Amino acid sequence: MKPSSTATGTIIGLTLVFLIGPFIVIILAALTAGNNLAFPPDGLSLKWFIKVFTVESFRISFFISMFLAVFGTLTALIVGVPAAYAIARYDIPGAGAIQLAVSSPLIVPGIIVGLALLRYLVIPTGFTIMAALFLAHAALILPYAVRVVTSSLQNLRVDVEEAALILGCSRLGSFFRVVFPNIRGGILAAFILGFVTSFNQVPVSLFLSGPGVRTLPIDMLAYMETTYDPSVAALACLLAIMSVGIVFLAERFLGFSRYV
Amino acid sequence: MFENKTTGLLLVLPAAVFASVLFLLPVGILLSEGFAGSEGGFSLGAYVEFFSSELNNTVFWRSLRLGLWVMLTSAVIGYAAAFSIVQLSPKSRGRVFALIILPLMISPVARTYAWLVILGRTGLVNQVIVGLGLSEEGLQLLFTETAVFIGLLQLFLPLMIIALISSMENMPRDVVPAARVLGANWFSVFFRVILPLTREGLVVGGTLVFAGSITAYITPAILGGSKVLMLETLLYQRVTVANDYAAASVIAMILVVMSIVTNLLLKRLAKPRNRRA
Repeated sequence: MKPSSTATGTIIGLTLVFLIGPFIVIILAALTAGNNLAFPPDGLSLKWFIKVFTVESFRISFFISMFLAVFGTLTALIVGVPAAYAIARYDIPGAGAIQLAVSSPLIVPGIIVGLALLRYLVIPTGFTIMAALFLAHAALILPYAVRVVTSSLQNLRVDVEEAALILGCSRLGSFFRVVFPNIRGGILAAFILGFVTSFNQVPVSLFLSGPGVRTLPIDMLAYMETTYDPSVAALACLLAIMSVGIVFLAERFLGFSRYV
Repeated sequence: MFENKTTGLLLVLPAAVFASVLFLLPVGILLSEGFAGSEGGFSLGAYVEFFSSELNNTVFWRSLRLGLWVMLTSAVIGYAAAFSIVQLSPKSRGRVFALIILPLMISPVARTYAWLVILGRTGLVNQVIVGLGLSEEGLQLLFTETAVFIGLLQLFLPLMIIALISSMENMPRDVVPAARVLGANWFSVFFRVILPLTREGLVVGGTLVFAGSITAYITPAILGGSKVLMLETLLYQRVTVANDYAAASVIAMILVVMSIVTNLLLKRLAKPRNRRA
């Protein structure tokens, strides 16, 4: 005896309307030919999508967010991959405490980290906001990098490495010639996860912004407070398309969800 | 497993130092600031002062209340949705599942912004209300607790559905039909069969949703504004408007303690499942 498929269909339909509906509303609102944010749109045009590219602060903050996401993730991987290797392959003393320290960025709410870095790193030491933002984003991505790479290392058998070592390969050589090619997918998955996380991140960057230095989501929040036109809606659509596109491609070519 | 412990430590050291220096140290100093007396030494003055303010109390209890409401509502919708999705054929189940997790990939700013269009003074909901003649000018929906509630629910519902689906997939397939054949109505099927078997998923989803809601910034900032402050928007306001770092430190402590408790709970629950796997 199964529940009726009309009932289950209705429930799924309503849930999806609630979860996805707002995106459709915002896409249509951004396509308006009028000057106000409204639904249903006042005629259709792409003018607000074009306007997004002419707003200078959006351009600057887009590049800042891009920079943080790409280089923050790379830094997290450079620090995180050796740590993941050690966690997966060695019996390290105090492993629990180390894992806790590495995963702490997941536990401490971002807004507190941003405030703490501003008060105790930027102000007393004269660190630039940009440098603090960069370090904060890298640290934020670190737990994801370590977790994803650790799990793909755990799926790789130790025998192949031992075989390489017995056959005369050096430790470093065996890592780059045997281990690395096998965990490349995991590293790429960690990169994508880190990139999307950093790019969409708001709380950490909230206090870490100054004249001319703002991440894109923070800039959008600031723009929204002063201007009520559809350009933020258009930008929101573009960002949504970008994130979904990246994740879709990653799933298609990499089987992304295996790693996350 | 390799034996050389020194190599292992050296490999893990950069990450540990990076996280401790950048995260634990500054955050630790910030938290300790809340216990500093005005003439040095240890004092709980900041905490006493924080909770003696009516606004702070309102915000504190509002955050907890909204967190609970979002958690409960997402559990109710989550059970209905997850149970329906599990009934689908594997192919359409995959498709629906992809649509459920799709919003998680999208910037929360974009996700929340959509509600401005829907709930605004001339928004979709008010057009319907005015159109039906229920109100002349439309209702004030934005900058209310309801708006924040709806925004948070949409933001975190997918987490609950995912958690419930994964524990329902582990449920033996025949238990629900068996209970039905034996004469149980849907009410007792739920409370006596489904609920006990999916409790783990409920707690995992529930803690994620609750923790996410009380530590949210973007949703209350956009949909609540300064009228409906929550813990993080209050923290931001205390610092930027009043330079009140003592209050900021107290709020930070509340947020950190809640996060740690949630994480410990999750870890506890995740353990037996790993053992089985």
